Amino acid sequence: MPRRRDATIRAALRPSVAAAVTVAARVAPAVILLAVAAWEIVVTRGAPGEVPDDAAWGQAAAAVRVDHRPGELIVFAPPWVDPVGRMHLGELIPPDMAGRLDAARYPVIWELSIRGARSPDTAGLRAVSSRSFGGVTVRRFEQAPAEVLADLVALAPKATVRGKRARGPTVELAEVGFAPHRCAQLVPQPGETVTLDFGRLTLGGSIAGGVGLADVFTRRDVRDPGRLALKVDGEVVAERRFGVDDGWVRFAAATTPGEHAVEVELEAVGKGARDRLICFAAEVRR
Amino acid sequence: MSETRAPAGAAPPDVAGSGVEIVDGIAVERAPDGGMLAARLDRSTWWRRWLPRATGALLFVASLALVLTAQRDVGLARDEVLYMHQGKVYAAWWLDAVTGEPVLTEEKIDAAWGAGRVDAGNGEHPPLLKTMFGLSHALLHDELGVASERTAYRAPTALLQAVLVVLVFAFTLAVWGYAEGVIAALLVLLLPRLFFHSQLACFDAPIATLWFATVVAYYRALASRLWCLGLGVVFGLALATKHNAIILPAVVVAHYAWVSLWSRRRQWRGDRDRARDLLAGGRTRSRLALVVRMIGPTLREAAVGAARLRPLVFAGLIVVGPLTLFALWPRLWVHPGHVFDWIGFHLDHVHYNFEYLGDNWNAPPFPWHVALVTTLVTVPVVTLVAGGLGAGVLAARAWRGEAAFPDRAPALLIFLSFGASIGPFFLGSTPIFGAEKHWAPAIPSLCIAAGVGAVWAARRLGALVVERLAWARGRRGLVDGLAIAALGGALVAASAVETAASQPYGLTHYNALAGGAAGGADLGMNRQFWGVAAQGVLPWLRAQPPGKVYSHDASPAWGVYIKEGKLDAGHGDAGREDVGIGRSKYAIVVHELHFNRHDYMIWKAYGTVQPVLVLRAGGVPVVSVYRRP
Repeated sequence: MPRRRDATIRAALRPSVAAAVTVAARVAPAVILLAVAAWEIVVTRGAPGEVPDDAAWGQAAAAVRVDHRPGELIVFAPPWVDPVGRMHLGELIPPDMAGRLDAARYPVIWELSIRGARSPDTAGLRAVSSRSFGGVTVRRFEQAPAEVLADLVALAPKATVRGKRARGPTVELAEVGFAPHRCAQLVPQPGETVTLDFGRLTLGGSIAGGVGLADVFTRRDVRDPGRLALKVDGEVVAERRFGVDDGWVRFAAATTPGEHAVEVELEAVGKGARDRLICFAAEVRR
Repeated sequence: MSETRAPAGAAPPDVAGSGVEIVDGIAVERAPDGGMLAARLDRSTWWRRWLPRATGALLFVASLALVLTAQRDVGLARDEVLYMHQGKVYAAWWLDAVTGEPVLTEEKIDAAWGAGRVDAGNGEHPPLLKTMFGLSHALLHDELGVASERTAYRAPTALLQAVLVVLVFAFTLAVWGYAEGVIAALLVLLLPRLFFHSQLACFDAPIATLWFATVVAYYRALASRLWCLGLGVVFGLALATKHNAIILPAVVVAHYAWVSLWSRRRQWRGDRDRARDLLAGGRTRSRLALVVRMIGPTLREAAVGAARLRPLVFAGLIVVGPLTLFALWPRLWVHPGHVFDWIGFHLDHVHYNFEYLGDNWNAPPFPWHVALVTTLVTVPVVTLVAGGLGAGVLAARAWRGEAAFPDRAPALLIFLSFGASIGPFFLGSTPIFGAEKHWAPAIPSLCIAAGVGAVWAARRLGALVVERLAWARGRRGLVDGLAIAALGGALVAASAVETAASQPYGLTHYNALAGGAAGGADLGMNRQFWGVAAQGVLPWLRAQPPGKVYSHDASPAWGVYIKEGKLDAGHGDAGREDVGIGRSKYAIVVHELHFNRHDYMIWKAYGTVQPVLVLRAGGVPVVSVYRRP
């Protein structure tokens, strides 16, 4: 009995459902186009308002200035808003800080971000405070800073150099992977390896570094890679090969505290590897 | 051949015995074999005669006025300055030549048009537009004094944009209808990136016009011997505009092959049926065997059809086109081999840096989807959706055998034009810098499909309203008109909002799908090129105490800005790279990913990372200005 009633209902519904589907199918293209047009107008007109203005940035910057102390890192996210951030807080960011190896040596990191973006410098850290100013989120992060015992960039010009080189080493603020990097830059002759001998340094528990090829135009015109090898007491403790599209390649090595001989080998890999502007930075850390 | 359109809402003509049928609302007179003989224009009322002409004229004037007005806010592009200069030289040579000055010597031609290096005299680009820039400058600025130098140089591009809008309207009107034509034309006009390029004295918008003009000329040539000559001339003008015109013959060949075969479809079907019978006799029903067996008959019928259709179009393409190019390019008169150097230059073009999805690309292989994704985030969403709908409608009509003018296959023609324009960018090896400007000739096809799709959707809605609502019965024409106006108006409004939002930094703008300029930046899409945005910081710089400016990518335009009074002479260009920065008191950085290095050079020299001004478009930084502390 119930089954028969269901069938009756289905039979009664069928024509109206079919009609509704037919109507919907006929109306849908126009409705979709109208809906898309309305949505596009609303989104397009509203899009600029999704980006905080200078008033919001001014408030956020003022809040940072109240608690900021020298030596604290300020970062912005997403990367494309970096110029706006620097316009508001650039006086607190020395060029060397902007070209840092990484964020490990800074006890406090201020992150100013928009549109829900996050800076890779604060990855894995937990914000101790977070405030929002008209769409600019200000987060303060604290961490145990890495203690730097020696900066190989600063030491590079005085290092003993062996091997055939076109130029260098010089201390540069260079573009590597489209980001600023304070680094020691050296250009080996094509296919040659150049060794920077830093002599005996007092090491701690690690050496952290980064390396890459500077200058977008020579990277475009010559596609050969470079190679870096970090040697402690003649032993290779870290080695990286880096190509034209690899950007800033990080490396690290655990070391035994005490005095050790430190060398960095830089190679322009391949006979055609001219103009390999090898740019590296490394810090001896406790 | 003339073409006609059945009156909207009119009853279909009596087809019985008349050889006339209504296909997609178009009155088509058929030959006994099913081929199209003619379609006559309905000139029964004065407004049917004059409305299309008045609409075309209105579209032309509105387009020209809009572009000429808007371009004043758009900064000078790096290459544009070179084209302006070279155009002035070319124009002076032509004016000397027609006034009888002794400039027809190799020495004088070399001096004006370049010799030796392929890029001497800007010889890596053909001369038509540059010559037009120069002549326009001589006429509108020097002679008549009715335009500024910049506007005078840019007027030819604006003019050709207006021509494109009218051509799209006229072609779509002739094939699919008035409403389709109006919507398609307005969507072409209100396409942000094409609109941006139509404001510059460059070649990217003009080649879209001349590419489409060639397609239309070919379409006309299929029905008129005289138009074969017109096709050749227009193709020659396209060749003399930009090198991507060399792809156009591929469109013609593919389309011609199809319509040739279509013209022999009865014979081909007979061959196919015989082949099927033979295969059935051999007890095989393999489709592959049928395909293999049909290769020969297909080629034969295509050849017969091609020979009978209009082979003269190829004379236009092969003879008249190159001759037109030759006539317009005096360098070829004395160095004909330069034509190979010109093409070779572009086949081996350096890959400029270009940001795409967060990465900087300057060497192949490039991602296959660059053209697809870039189109999806730069063309108004309504145009994309309506274009997709229209493509589906056209494909369905073709499948059902209801395509408009199947003997000339206009839908296939615009599809092939679209594919040939954008297709090379799926190869992974074609340079992607410049992105959408390189496949701008695809835009008319997309907008025509959008016009067809929008009107189809509106008519579907109109038909439903007439069926369901008592007051609408008997008012089909009115209801359709209202539905088309509402839907078309909504599409055009959305496109207009996108275009308005994109001005004057059109290269920074991304559509609603991307989330506007900021959404494009989030996606890591290219911010801009050619240093156009630098004009936006000139008012600020002008208010500052004098001092040299490191202008990097805007340096070719700097002198023009000073000449125009947008800057004082005290804010002259400081020079290039580190030396220029060292001499400068102010420095600008035009934000592109690979220009970040300029920031770092300035930080090092000025000792600060802090710009004093950051110009933004849609909230996204486009130019930073530094002042030496």
